[in-house]
Amino acid sequence: MLLELRHVKKAFGATLALRDVSFGLRAGEVHVVAGENGAGKSTLLRIVAGALGDFEGEVRLDGHAVRFQSPAGARAAGIRAIHQELSLVPALSVADNLLLGEPGNAFACVRRRHTREQARRALARVGADIDPETPVEALSIAERQLVEIARALAGKTRVLVLDEPTSALPAPAAARLLALVAELKAAGIGCIYISHRLEEIFRIADRISVLRDGERVLTEPASALDPERLVRAMLGRDVGQVPVVARSRQDAVRLRVLGLTRRRRPALDAVSLEVARGEVVGLAGVEGSGASTLLHALFGDAGDTEGTVELDGVRYGPRDPARALARGVAFLASDRRASVLAEQSVLENATLSSLRRFSPAALVRRPLEKKAVSRASTRVRLKASSLDAPAGALSGGNQQKVALLRCLLTEPRLLLLDDPTRGVDLGARADVHALLRELAATGTSILFRSTDLAELVELADRVVVLFDGRVVATLERAELSESRLLALMMGGVT
Amino acid sequence: MTQGPQPSGSSSQASQAAGSAWRSLLASPRVRALVPLVAVLLFGAALNAHGAFFEWQTHRAVLREIAVEGILACGMTVVIVAGGIDLAVGSVLALGAVSFAWLTLRHGVSGAVAIPAVLALGALAGAVSGALVAFARMQAFIVTLAMMVFARGLAKELASGQKISSYVALPDGRFENVPTPAVFGVLDGRLFGGQLSVVTLVFAAAVLVTWFVLARLRIGRYLHAVGSSFEAARLSGVPVRATLLFAYLLSGLFAALAGICQAAQETHGDPETGLGYELDAIAMVVLGGTSLSGGRGSVLLTLVGALTLGYLQKVLSLNAYSTELRLLLTGVILVLAVLFQRRLARASA
Repeated sequence: MLLELRHVKKAFGATLALRDVSFGLRAGEVHVVAGENGAGKSTLLRIVAGALGDFEGEVRLDGHAVRFQSPAGARAAGIRAIHQELSLVPALSVADNLLLGEPGNAFACVRRRHTREQARRALARVGADIDPETPVEALSIAERQLVEIARALAGKTRVLVLDEPTSALPAPAAARLLALVAELKAAGIGCIYISHRLEEIFRIADRISVLRDGERVLTEPASALDPERLVRAMLGRDVGQVPVVARSRQDAVRLRVLGLTRRRRPALDAVSLEVARGEVVGLAGVEGSGASTLLHALFGDAGDTEGTVELDGVRYGPRDPARALARGVAFLASDRRASVLAEQSVLENATLSSLRRFSPAALVRRPLEKKAVSRASTRVRLKASSLDAPAGALSGGNQQKVALLRCLLTEPRLLLLDDPTRGVDLGARADVHALLRELAATGTSILFRSTDLAELVELADRVVVLFDGRVVATLERAELSESRLLALMMGGVT
Repeated sequence: MTQGPQPSGSSSQASQAAGSAWRSLLASPRVRALVPLVAVLLFGAALNAHGAFFEWQTHRAVLREIAVEGILACGMTVVIVAGGIDLAVGSVLALGAVSFAWLTLRHGVSGAVAIPAVLALGALAGAVSGALVAFARMQAFIVTLAMMVFARGLAKELASGQKISSYVALPDGRFENVPTPAVFGVLDGRLFGGQLSVVTLVFAAAVLVTWFVLARLRIGRYLHAVGSSFEAARLSGVPVRATLLFAYLLSGLFAALAGICQAAQETHGDPETGLGYELDAIAMVVLGGTSLSGGRGSVLLTLVGALTLGYLQKVLSLNAYSTELRLLLTGVILVLAVLFQRRLARASA
């Protein structure tokens, strides 16, 4: 066994990220690690790559126990990691980037010609036709990925860790990358590969391990698995069909999207969908699928798009968020740093989007504001010591409620929510769901993306699945199940 | 400086109950800002320069001396709350002083016309900076650094490199002393039986206006929001670009106002005036406890910061510290005051 993890445990505060995981990697194999968000994949990778030194259990390399205290330590032992967020310095040239972090270079004089030669060889190895003198910021994402891999391969690499390397790549570049991984495998390098794409997993994997809730629940040769069994192992249960709840669906179409296309990445490819008045429509899709981009585009925040969008039968193509809000469309961003102003008070956060209503003559009328916010805050069951407390001091769930309050106070016709309960505790999640149902019942249309499959099944009247910027399926409530969604999100067919 | 730790020393001797009261008091940024000011005042009272510190004219002088830079600090507070910085205020002040003198002394324009015209010029200079920051998305530091150089150049050009005073060169080569317009006397005068300088009142008015803008108006909320998180503000429908433009425009306007006061006090327009004032203005804002990272801050804190800096200078000069030592001590005390306030903020959290 090239690399082995034995009984590894890791807790972050009260949450157990990994509970007693053992895992082995052979030389010359591609071992895919699969699992839902939060299953413990990243923690496992960070331990292997030396980014987390503080854990229980043992890591063995070539049968010897090792414990890396830093990524540099792991690198010195021949373990290289390529993360989702690329770690190149944009302003430096490709050659300089390839040299960064190499031992012995920290204070040494840089030998220009030597560096360039080394860089050229490293790039040739990954089949990249890039001038080593080009600054990294001038490269495409795919080229940067290749540089990253070239850097990982410089030196005596034995274990290569790849974390969703194709999620940001267009199809041809992704194919090239997979071919490259196959070559590395032939050269005897062991690869740990994380992916959310079924097709890719089965194309590249020798063995597949599934993590779920911090435990390894399955390790099998890829040839012994099929997509259906893999998805079931990731979810941990055979999620049956959800009973159909009869909902009154008014037929008036609120939002009609026809052939919405965005050329820049993340791309949208002729997306069409409809949301009726009072309907709750879910969007499913992995990172880079376009689900989040679609919401941003509908809020006037995705730059140039083509296609037709109608809101209540009137052409709708906002150029910026302010114009979208003026048309009665509100948006909640998935990243809390983009939705909550931590330094500002709860009150100031809540009324920011509807401030005109509370300041008819430029002067803010606080009593008016206070009344509206305290009324609305009981509606979302906000728990805050005071409306004047800074929003940043609240719990994650309550911060999310503050951001939702801001949307509510604009009295939207259409509510766009990007992963509304990410990082939110169960109580707050239930409160948010109750609120959204109530809003829908009073005629507000809701279009939401979620990375939580259970949430999509629980909340949505209908789910639209996106893959690679295209709508690949629309599931009515009666057809919804987590396993079907997951398979479709990963590009599979059910 | 030896008196610096005095307030914390007394707190350590206080009883448990008083300790918690002290802590809740320190939770307020205004109280925290007052601690360095009180320390400086105690320092002044202890040294007191043979009783000079206890005379009203000393305090009247402090209030007059901080007025011009204090007006700059008002505009600076608005820009910093919005997450920016304005390095051009010292130069725009000089441009204001020179253009005011040019209009009134050289061309005999009345104050009622000259003041609005100069204010408009300052606002224009600020708006240019603001437009570059907001629409061209250039870094505020670079834009206002360029404006600092440009406005200084414009002031020198307008004044042909010399002071514009009431001493005017005639075509035949002789000089003539034209009478100084009344507006100079008014701005440089005192009110309430000579107890308060007019420029102090102008400063007070600037503080009041800034407070009203930041704390009461819709645009004030927008300024805080933009400084807190540009992205979150944009996604909340805040007119982020117009808000940024406004911040720099207001700062330019205040700088021109300070320039008018400066010209009136010096009775001429000096293109070299206001050198380094932008740094004093920033120091006043920071001494008040406003963070340069934006989103937070109040002009009342800046007022306290201005008083702290003004009194520090006064106490040091009253007690005949040399200029060199004054600079050294001011630098040290600036750092200590900010460190100290941060410690207090953390202890009370």
